[in-house]
Amino acid sequence: MKSKRSSTLWYAFLLAALALPFLPGGIGNTFHGHVLTMILLYASMAQSWNIISGYCGQISFGHAVFFGIGAYGAALAVVTFDSLPWYGVPAGAAAAAIVSVLISAPCFRLKGHYFAIATFATVEIFNRLFMIWDWVGGAIGLDYPILEDGWRNFSWSGTKNGYYLGALALFTLVFGIVRRIESHRMGYYLRAVREGQETAESLGVNSTFVKLSAMALSAALAALCGAFFAQYNYRVDPPMVMSLDMSMKFVLITILGGLGTFWGPLLGAAILIPLQEYTRAYLSHLGSGVDLMIFGLIIIVTMIKQPRGIMGIVHSLRKKPETPAASEEICEDREGER
Amino acid sequence: MRSKSMLARLLVFTLCGVFLFGGAAFGADKVIKIGTLFPLTGPSAVSGQNCLNSLLAAVEVINNAHPELDMPLAAKAGLLDGYKIELVKADHQGKPDVAKSEAERLYNQENVFAIIGSYNSSATKPASAVAERAKKLFLCGASSSAALTERGYKYFFRHAPTDAIESEEFTDYISWLNKEKNAGIKTLGLFYENSEFGKHAADEAKKAAKEVGLEITADVPFNVGATNLSSEVQTLKAANPDAVFGAALGGDYSLWVRTMKQVNWLPKIAINYCTGYQNPAVQKELGADGNYFMGGMSFSPELAEKFMPEALVVQEKFYRPLANQPFDSDSVQEAVMLMILGQAIEKAGALDTEKVREILASETFVSPLSLSGEVAFAPGGQNIKALSVITQIENQKYNTIYPEKFKDSEVIYPMKPWDNR
Repeated sequence: MKSKRSSTLWYAFLLAALALPFLPGGIGNTFHGHVLTMILLYASMAQSWNIISGYCGQISFGHAVFFGIGAYGAALAVVTFDSLPWYGVPAGAAAAAIVSVLISAPCFRLKGHYFAIATFATVEIFNRLFMIWDWVGGAIGLDYPILEDGWRNFSWSGTKNGYYLGALALFTLVFGIVRRIESHRMGYYLRAVREGQETAESLGVNSTFVKLSAMALSAALAALCGAFFAQYNYRVDPPMVMSLDMSMKFVLITILGGLGTFWGPLLGAAILIPLQEYTRAYLSHLGSGVDLMIFGLIIIVTMIKQPRGIMGIVHSLRKKPETPAASEEICEDREGER
Repeated sequence: MRSKSMLARLLVFTLCGVFLFGGAAFGADKVIKIGTLFPLTGPSAVSGQNCLNSLLAAVEVINNAHPELDMPLAAKAGLLDGYKIELVKADHQGKPDVAKSEAERLYNQENVFAIIGSYNSSATKPASAVAERAKKLFLCGASSSAALTERGYKYFFRHAPTDAIESEEFTDYISWLNKEKNAGIKTLGLFYENSEFGKHAADEAKKAAKEVGLEITADVPFNVGATNLSSEVQTLKAANPDAVFGAALGGDYSLWVRTMKQVNWLPKIAINYCTGYQNPAVQKELGADGNYFMGGMSFSPELAEKFMPEALVVQEKFYRPLANQPFDSDSVQEAVMLMILGQAIEKAGALDTEKVREILASETFVSPLSLSGEVAFAPGGQNIKALSVITQIENQKYNTIYPEKFKDSEVIYPMKPWDNR
């Protein structure tokens, strides 16, 4: 059950985000527009990962594989089949869901760190596979031709408005699904498996089915994000999308924001992405990696100060002026976030 | 008293504002912003920094009067009627997605007139696609993937010889060696990084080898930034080809050479594309182990002494103080592109992208920093005057061994084995 306050916040956020490009001096073709689009994209990616790793407790380092399959789905449709990306998007999402089930079915026999290590290895395997697979462009990758601007090709060059609205739609879909899951029976099953698989099974939860379903859903949503990424960058190659670097982005953003919380991925992305983009844009010319040092330092300090991420900080701030009414509200919110 | 202090503060703030914003506005009138997009961090950072330093040297030549230099744009200070070049630097970290977003930022936020970059072919591709869509100029010095100039782009211009040109040159040389020196080279091995650059180079090598009847007996890709190349080098050793074409950048190149020494194997000749071979810093690190390897080059201090004397002056006066080493074949080409852009702006007589583009596409430019001495672009943007020679390194000196016109030394063939040096 969602609290009224939580629902108000969700709809107010969507409304404000939707209005942004239509305000004077909104998105246009600015660098800030790029950063906002990336925040929405990476928040969606992190939320898709949050389903299996945050809510269900199965830490996966292999989501770059599903993200990459989605990216290749869209790019193959455009580059290889000379068609519209829209045909490749569902195909990529379906392929990612199938691959995730095929990979996870044996991996789910492993638990904890062993499962995480197994998923880690899948990224390397798929990276090498796509590097030598000529049909998907191999190491050279797939480069988009110059397409006509518009929703049909999902490509714009003069403005970021289209990409921003596309990212917002993706964000609404991914966060909307997670919002629905949170209060659905599935959400309780996921959390039950996370808290204790044996206990959940003793209460009649089919943990294998729950984990596989969560993984398939998580992979399909990650693939949609991958398709957006390919469209945005006009290119896809294995190091861009199927790398441990990319997998770590899924993990880092969610953990920084707050693992297993609804708003955590958005908060993580809202901190990390601007930090990454602006430090690179305005400090990287120094050529000494100062941007990367600052970036790393902030992550270390945040994690030392609050291992539960930014949502942990938010909760501790809300705890201080505790009144009976406020504490009741926090409990209600946490119910939803667990 | 308090109101006086308040007034003084207001005055200071106002003056600061006038100096900061007013100054910027007045200064902006006489500035041509050029974006630079190189890998300043990441695995190719050293090469990226060299490219940037090379551009800074070219800016010095253009912005200030250097009548002692016999080259276009050097005699007077600035371009047109006193415009100065200002570089706006960006780092793409060797990542195509970062290159694309940085190119957008440079064009849209920094309002640069053109971008010069991006060293890695995989980064140059999406960044130049941004330029083409926005109808802005993109000039490329060193990226060598032939695909870059096969896209039919109108706003993209590249100086470097492509992998296709170099592959043909390498196989021509092998044919010459077989004919003139009875070298008996029949088999070829390919050793290349698994990237856009390496894969393209290998594909072009296969085509060129087929033309001259060389049999490819080893096709060995490796991952960029690998920490161990033993299995790859063992694969080469097992196939034991007579010749090897290498495409390994920076640290990967020195690791490759050292691993061959470890396993005590060498082919008869090893010829490299635009790679770590060309970097004097890498050769210094390798010392005597780097000897007798070969590579295609369009610049070396030895070549410059004979054919590009002005390049040596620019190198010693402006580049070496920044980079602490001589120009290398990659970095000097970035400086060439800025000099060519400057000439095109001068000829256009205005900062008009379309006019400058038309001039770039149609005219031949004098280029004392290029081996051929001139630059002209074909449709698609490839420099049709691009020249490359084959050099062999000996005690960190690049000896030119082919073609005859540029030759200054005899080839040492076959390479001396590791245990006989």
